[in-house]
Amino acid sequence: MSKIFQLSIIIVTLCIIPTISLVFAAETAGEYIDRKAEIWNLFFRMMTIAFVVGGVIAGTMVWQVWRFRESNPKSKPTPYEEKGEL
Amino acid sequence: MAHSNWAEWIYLGVVTALLVYVGAEAWNVERIIDHAPEDAEIIKVTAQQWLWTFEHEDGTKEVGELHLKKDHAYKFELTSKDVIHNFNIPEYVVLLDAVPGRVNTVWFSPNEVGEFDIQCREYCGLIHYNMRALLIVEDV
Repeated sequence: MSKIFQLSIIIVTLCIIPTISLVFAAETAGEYIDRKAEIWNLFFRMMTIAFVVGGVIAGTMVWQVWRFRESNPKSKPTPYEEKGEL
Repeated sequence: MAHSNWAEWIYLGVVTALLVYVGAEAWNVERIIDHAPEDAEIIKVTAQQWLWTFEHEDGTKEVGELHLKKDHAYKFELTSKDVIHNFNIPEYVVLLDAVPGRVNTVWFSPNEVGEFDIQCREYCGLIHYNMRALLIVEDV
C-alpha cells in the first residue's frame, strides 16, 4: 500500500504537475494588472495564514504544557504510573 | 486506551485546507502575472558586466537608461552576455535572472510617472554594486 502511495507521489510530481503547468502556461493573452498590488496582496495573505498556523501550533503547545503539568489538579497518573511500572 | 480523536481530525482538516489554499492562491497569482497583454511592447534587455542595454521594438537602443510610457504594457526579454545577472526594478516588483544563452521574460505596466532604479540583484563581479540603470516613466 505504501509503495503504491510513494509511486503515485512520484508520478504526480514528475508527470501531472508539469503537464498542468505547461497547459496553463500556453501563450494566452493576459490582462492589464497592477503587478505590484497582486504580488504584495499575495504576500500579505500568505503572512496572515503563516501567523494563524504559527499561533495555532504555539497555542496548542502552551495548552498541552499547562494542562498536563504534574501540579494541575485535574492531572492523574497514567495506567503505567498507577501500576508502578515507571 | 480508547479515546476520541475528533479534535485531531479537525486540526488535520484545518491545516490541510490552509495548505491547499496557500498552494492554489500562489499558483493562481503566478499564472495571472505571467501572461502579458497582446499589445505589450517587447524590449530586449541585455546584461553584461556591468551595464544594461535596452532595445525597443523599433530598434532604438538605450544604455543605462530606459524610457517607458505610463500605462503601456512592456514585455522584457532578458539575456546576458557573460555571467548570470538579475534584472530588478524594486518599485514595480520586477525581479528575474538574466542567464547567458537563455531568454527569460517578464512583463509589467508602469502606472506612475517618475524616475525609478533598475539594479542588478545577482552578485556578478567587482562592480556589481554599481550595475544600475534609470527607468524613466513618461506621461505620453
